[in-house]
Amino acid sequence: MKHNEIKTPQWIDSIIDTLAPAHFAEEIRGDLYECFRMDLEEKGIRTARRKYVWRGLGFVFKRFFWKKTPFITSNSLTMILNYFKMAKRSLLASKGTSFINIIGLVTGIASALTVIAVIRYETSFDTFHSKADRIYRVVRISGEDMSEFRSGISFPVHRAMRDEIAGLNDIAAMEYFGGAYVDVLDTKGNSERKFREEFGFALVEPSFFKVFDFAQTNFKWLAGNKEKAFDEPFNTVLTSSMAKKYFGNEDPIGRTIKIQQKFDCKVTGVIEDFPPNTDFPFTVLLSYASVPTLASKGVYDDWFSVNDSHHVYLRLPEHMSKEEMEKQIAKIHAAHTPKELHESRHYLLQSLSELHHDARFSNYSRRTISRETILGLSIVMLFLLLTACINYINLATAQSTLRSKEIGVRKVMGSNQRHVMLQFLTETFVIVSLSAFAALLVADAILITFQSLLNVTFTQHVFTDTTLLLFLLIIVASVTLFAGFYPALIISRFNPVTALKNNLNLQKPSAFSMRKVLVVFQFTITQILVVGTFIVMSQIQYFSHVNMGFNREGIISTRVHSRNLNTLETLRNKLLANPDVADVSYSYTLPSGVKRNRSYADIGRTDANEMKDYLVYEFVSIDPSYLGLYDIKLLAGRNLMMSDSIGNILVNKTLLKNLQLGTPNEAIGKELKRSDGERSTIVGVVDDYYGNSLKEQADNIVMLIQRTEYATLSIKLNVKESESLQSVVDGVGQIWLETFPEYIFNYTFLDENIKAFYVQEEKYARLFQMFSIVFLLIGLLGLYGLISFLANRKSKEVAVRKVFGATLMSIMILFSKDYIKLIALSFILSVPVAYYLLNDWLSHFANHIELQWWLFILPGLGVLLVTMLIVGMKMLNTARINPVDKLKYE
Amino acid sequence: MSTRIYLGELEELVLLMVALLNKEAYGVSIMEELKKQASREISVSAIHAVLHRLEEKGFVRSKMGGASDERGGRRKRLFSITAYGRDVLIEQRDTRAIIWNQIGNISLS
Repeated sequence: MKHNEIKTPQWIDSIIDTLAPAHFAEEIRGDLYECFRMDLEEKGIRTARRKYVWRGLGFVFKRFFWKKTPFITSNSLTMILNYFKMAKRSLLASKGTSFINIIGLVTGIASALTVIAVIRYETSFDTFHSKADRIYRVVRISGEDMSEFRSGISFPVHRAMRDEIAGLNDIAAMEYFGGAYVDVLDTKGNSERKFREEFGFALVEPSFFKVFDFAQTNFKWLAGNKEKAFDEPFNTVLTSSMAKKYFGNEDPIGRTIKIQQKFDCKVTGVIEDFPPNTDFPFTVLLSYASVPTLASKGVYDDWFSVNDSHHVYLRLPEHMSKEEMEKQIAKIHAAHTPKELHESRHYLLQSLSELHHDARFSNYSRRTISRETILGLSIVMLFLLLTACINYINLATAQSTLRSKEIGVRKVMGSNQRHVMLQFLTETFVIVSLSAFAALLVADAILITFQSLLNVTFTQHVFTDTTLLLFLLIIVASVTLFAGFYPALIISRFNPVTALKNNLNLQKPSAFSMRKVLVVFQFTITQILVVGTFIVMSQIQYFSHVNMGFNREGIISTRVHSRNLNTLETLRNKLLANPDVADVSYSYTLPSGVKRNRSYADIGRTDANEMKDYLVYEFVSIDPSYLGLYDIKLLAGRNLMMSDSIGNILVNKTLLKNLQLGTPNEAIGKELKRSDGERSTIVGVVDDYYGNSLKEQADNIVMLIQRTEYATLSIKLNVKESESLQSVVDGVGQIWLETFPEYIFNYTFLDENIKAFYVQEEKYARLFQMFSIVFLLIGLLGLYGLISFLANRKSKEVAVRKVFGATLMSIMILFSKDYIKLIALSFILSVPVAYYLLNDWLSHFANHIELQWWLFILPGLGVLLVTMLIVGMKMLNTARINPVDKLKYE
Repeated sequence: MSTRIYLGELEELVLLMVALLNKEAYGVSIMEELKKQASREISVSAIHAVLHRLEEKGFVRSKMGGASDERGGRRKRLFSITAYGRDVLIEQRDTRAIIWNQIGNISLS
C-alpha cells in the first residue's frame, strides 16, 4: 500500500475533472489510477507518471469525452430550450408588435443607462484618493445666525493648525486663481509663445499630493523630483497636456514660463493630467511659497481677511474624530483672534464627499450637483423603465388573445399554470435581453454625443464599465419580472376549454381596466414632464428677454492693462475714430454678466453709528460715458464728470429705498457716510438694473469716478448690415493690440456673458426636453401598438358597422374616444403635481414668470393633439377599408 | 435483420471481451484481457471510446459498480452485453462461418 502516497499528476486530474461530465470523470480517473498503479510496480514512478499524462490526454482527444450528458436528457432543459424556440417564433410572428415593444424598451433602458452613467460620474468625484472618507475641507460659516457658508480660510489659519495640532500631518492649503496670461520663454529668456488660459492655475502646498494622492487613478509623476518640486517660490509643476502645449516635444524641466507678464516660474515637474472627475481642475500648479510675494501686503498674516479661493484640506489623523478636530481648530482660532471675530466666524469641517454635492459652498470646478437632483434623476430613471414596462404589459395582455389556442393546446398536453408562466417569462426575457443589448449601444452613442450637454467627460465606453454592465443585468432581470409577470399571469390563467373554443374574450372588465390604469399612469408622468419643459423654457425665455435696466446688445468688453490715463485716453480716441465703434467707456467692471468683479463696502446715513446701521453696497468705478453706453437711466441729478472727486457719487434706487432717502429728487445733495468715516455726496440717482442674474434681486449700487481702478473697456459696436461682426471685432482688436502689444486680445460679448448666468437652467431645460421627448415617444409607441392591435381585431366589427351605414367619422370617434378620455384624465391628474413642483422651482428665482393657466393648458393640448393624430391616423386606415374585403371570406 | 449492422474490427473484439469478462468488464479489465487474448495493446481511452459507441448502438449496457481501493476509492462503470449485442456477435460469427464453409478446403498454395 506504499503507493498510496504517490500522487498522480495533478493537472491532468483537474483537466479531466473540469472538462468531463461528472459521471465520466469518476470512471476515467478510476481507470487511469488503476493503470498508474500497475505501471508503478512494473516500470517505476517516472514512467508511470509520464504514461498517466499520455493516457489522460488521450481521453481529451476522444469525441465522447466532450459529449454532454448523453445518458440523461433533462426534460426541464428541453422545455426551456423549447420556450426559447417559441419566443423566437412568436417574436417573428408578430413583427410589428415586437418592433414596438423592442423600440420602447430600448428607449427606456438606454435612457436609464445614460442616467445611471451620469449619476455614477457625478458621484465619483474625488473618491479615488487614499482614505478619502477621512479627508475634510475647512469651511467658514459666519453671521449671527450662521447663515453665511463660505470656503475661504484666512492665510494664517492652516499654518497655526499645522504647528499646534498634534498628529496633524496631512494638511494642504491652496489657492485657485483660475486663468492667466502665459509667456513661454526660450532659453535666453525671450518670449517665444503667448497664451491666455481661462482656468487651471493654482498655488498648492507641497503636501497637496499627500492629501490628494489620486491613488486609484493612473495618476503619476512623469518628470521632476516629487519631494522638492514645490520648495522654492514660483516653482511650477505642469500637467502633461500643458507641458506639451507650452514646450511641444522639448524637455520642460528647468524651463521658464512667465505668468501675468510678471512672474518667472521655473518648471520643476510634470505630472499626468488629473482625471476629469475631480473638483480640482488644476493644470498649472505653482508652489505655495509664492503666496507671500503675491498676496497684498499684510494679508498673509491677517486672521481677518479672507479670500474665497483659498481653501484648506486635511486628512484626519487616525485617532481623531471630526468633532475633536473642529474643537481644536476653534481653540486655535480663539487664541489668535479677538472675541468679535471668533464669535461671529466659525471654522468647521466639511467631508470631501460633500464637496461635489453641497451647493452652499462653492468648489474650484464650480459645479455641484445636489443629492436631491441625483435623487430626482434616479426617480426619473425608474419612471422611464416603468413606462417601458407598461408598454410591454399593455401590448402583451392585449395580444394574449391571439395566443389562446396555443395555450389551450399546451394545457391540454399537460402544461400547468407554472409552465405557461415560465414560457411567457422566457419570451419577455428574450425581448428584454435583445433590447438591453441594443440599449447598450444606444446609450454609448448618447453619452459620447451629448457629453457637453450632460456636462460629463467619459474616458471609457459604456460596455467596458463592469459596474454599468452589472446594472444592466439588474435592469434586465427586474424589467423581465416586472413587465413579464402580469401578462404571464393573465395568459396562464386561461381555461383550456374556452381558450380552445376561441371565444375567449379578454376584454373582461378587470383586464381592460388594468390597462387603462397603466395608460393613465404613463401619460400622467409624460404630461408632468411636458408641462415642466414648457414652463422651464418659458422662464428661460423670460430671463433672456426681460429688460435688465441696461442695454446689452452689440457691446463687447475686454481688459485694459494700464492704469495710465493718457494711454487710456489715446486708446479711446483711436477707437472712436473707427466708424464701427459707437461709444467707448472705461470702468472697473461690467454692469452684469458672469465675468465680472465685485467690490463691496459698507455705507450708511450720516447718523449711522453701529454696524447694523450700515448697508453693504457694491461700488463701481465708471467714467462719464458709462451711463450712456449702457443706457442706464438717470432718474435725478446729473451724470458724473471726470473732474468729480470720489466724494461725488451716483446711487441706485434700491440703495435709496434701503437707506430711506426719499424720492430721487429729494436725495440729491444728501451726504452719506462710509464705515471708514469717509463722507460722500449724492449727485445723481440711477434706475435699478440687474447686476446679478435675474435669479436674484438688484443690489445696492454706488457709482463713482476712481480713475486708478479702470480695468475694463466696454465698446459699443456700430455694425452695419454689410459688415461681418467678426471683421468689426478684429478691427477693434487691432487697435487694442497697438496699445497693448504684449498681450492677447480677449473679448466677450455682454449678451453672451449675461446668458452664462443661466447655463444651469438651460441645461435643466434641455434635460427636461430630452426626457419629455423620450417619455412621449415611449407612451405614444405603446398607444400606437394598442390601437393597431385593436384596429386589427375589430376590423370585422368596423366592416359590419359600415355595411349598416356608419360614417367614417362616427367610427373614428367610437374607437378613439376611449383613449382621448384617458389622455384627458391623465392631464387632469398631472396638473396639481406639475403645479407643485414648478412653483417650488420658480420660487428659487427673485424674478420669475407667473404660473398661469395657459402654461398648463397649452402643452396639455399639444400632447392631446399628437395623441389624436396618432390614434386617428391608425383608425382612419381601419375605417377606410372596404367592408367587402373583411367580410367576404366567410 | 433488415438493416446491415456495422461492427468494426476493434468494436467486435471489445464486444467479445465484454461477453467474455461477463459483469467484470470495464475499461482496464478489457484492456488487460485484450492484451492477454489477442496481444493487442490498445490505449485505455480508445477502449472507453469504443465502449461508448457500443453503448450508443445498444450492444452493451452499463451501470456504475462498486468502488475499490485500487482505484483510489472511485467507482467503475461495469459493462454487460445486451441480447441485441449477443445476436449481432452470433450473426457476425455465422456469416463468417458460412463464408468459410464455402471457401471449403481452400488450398493455401
